[in-house]
Amino acid sequence: MIKAKPKPLEEIIDNVKDFNKLLIAGCDGCVTVCEAGGLKEVKILAAALRLYFTQAGKQVQVDEASLTRQCEKEYLAQLSDRMDGYDAAVSLACGVGAQYLAEMYNHKIVFPGVDTCFMGVNEERGLYSERCQACGRCILAETGGICPIARCSKRMLNGPCGGSDKGKCEINPDIPCAWELIYERLKTLGQLDRFERPVEPKDWSTSRDGGPRKIVREDLRI
Amino acid sequence: MQLQKKLASGEFVILAEMEPPKGTDVVAMVANAANVKRTVDAFVIPEMSNAVMKMSSLGGALLLQSKGLETVLQCCCRDRNRLALQGDLLAAQALGVPNVMAVSGEEITHGDHHKARAVNDLDLMELLAAIQTLQKGRDLAGVDLQGAPSFLVGSTVKIPTSDAARLDEVAELDKKIATGVKFFITPPVYETAALEKFTSLLKGRPVSIIPTVLLLKSVGMARYINRLLEPKIPEDFINRIQKASDRVRECVQIAAEIITTLKNRGFNGVNISTIGWEDKLPAILAAAGLEFGG
Repeated sequence: MIKAKPKPLEEIIDNVKDFNKLLIAGCDGCVTVCEAGGLKEVKILAAALRLYFTQAGKQVQVDEASLTRQCEKEYLAQLSDRMDGYDAAVSLACGVGAQYLAEMYNHKIVFPGVDTCFMGVNEERGLYSERCQACGRCILAETGGICPIARCSKRMLNGPCGGSDKGKCEINPDIPCAWELIYERLKTLGQLDRFERPVEPKDWSTSRDGGPRKIVREDLRI
Repeated sequence: MQLQKKLASGEFVILAEMEPPKGTDVVAMVANAANVKRTVDAFVIPEMSNAVMKMSSLGGALLLQSKGLETVLQCCCRDRNRLALQGDLLAAQALGVPNVMAVSGEEITHGDHHKARAVNDLDLMELLAAIQTLQKGRDLAGVDLQGAPSFLVGSTVKIPTSDAARLDEVAELDKKIATGVKFFITPPVYETAALEKFTSLLKGRPVSIIPTVLLLKSVGMARYINRLLEPKIPEDFINRIQKASDRVRECVQIAAEIITTLKNRGFNGVNISTIGWEDKLPAILAAAGLEFGG
């Protein structure tokens, strides 16, 4: 899932302090799971903003909403009868949702309320780590199900680099060496021969390097 | 320093693009440059133009500088991060390159290494600001340099065709001037009207506008440009090439005529782009009536 973290309150206040009618719009999808932008966080942020405006002696309407997903028009449409009543919205969805909200209501100012970080897993509550960079051409079959692009600090495709220490990355000792993980996993699977095959320079054209991407699935389109 | 001096004194400058080879054989490159060294004020060394892998601009520039020829290094956002860009700029200046031109670079997908990753760590404005920071004696991390570079800095400018686009481009150009840019090279020019309409808005600005003169190589090339690019090549030029008994000679003649027109119209200079036909430079310069000697 997409992982995000709440933006500092000061940054959000700086963005919205001159407006009088605000909507705080959460998303019940990924950002709810990582507790950055769901209904609970909407209520916390709205309460904090109300407190700020009260202390500042300013009367500001701060309303709350959370949509099933902000990355789908059908759910964004649920705000259609309300948006005209606001000067601006703070979206607690990921960057995808925040953009789609702004796209759908393009006459309204939309501020991001979270910093979208990566696609990753919930290791524990409050501990999320990256697993995929959406490069557009998955190589997990070759690497024991562990992605060196997302998990090796140097994105090496023919690792390891030789700098790891006791299984930890030389760049950040809190991160496991992806290539050590790959080696151990391939050993467990009896596939160490894959480890020994050199990999050609990757085709990055399917990644962001090829420009903004779009999937067209003719089989699904009506 | 010839380029800087001539631009400062208002003399007509002649730049010529000199493509480095795709390979290590630099004999032709050096010979083509040496052939016109008395006429050309500085050689612009493209940094893998059209995203086609070649010898780097830094390599080509150092090579020609080592032969006593003045060059304009192109530094390009596409292939290098801020460390590499700064490091190359320091190397270029330390080894004698006096001029630099910042470009953003064509998309990787337009070139011959479609699978490569583009870097674009700095955008064009950030790169220009980085050059200025280096010239003030610091790097982008704020650390003092042991010797600061002092380049004559150039960049690119578009030739807008609508009033709104012209104003946008003037605003863009002003931002670049604020970062220390002294000369601007335009896309290929075939007729001066649109360019003059634009340059009339630039009066009072302390910069030189140097139009590019592209050597057309064939009718096919001209048609291709007119299909995909702006500005368009006048049909008259295409017809002349088509009807000519010696088409190469006609292409050279057309380039020379454009140079002459630009000179007569009071432009600061020209940048002659021959993309692979650098051996035609002597003929172009001679046909344009510019002083020439090997």
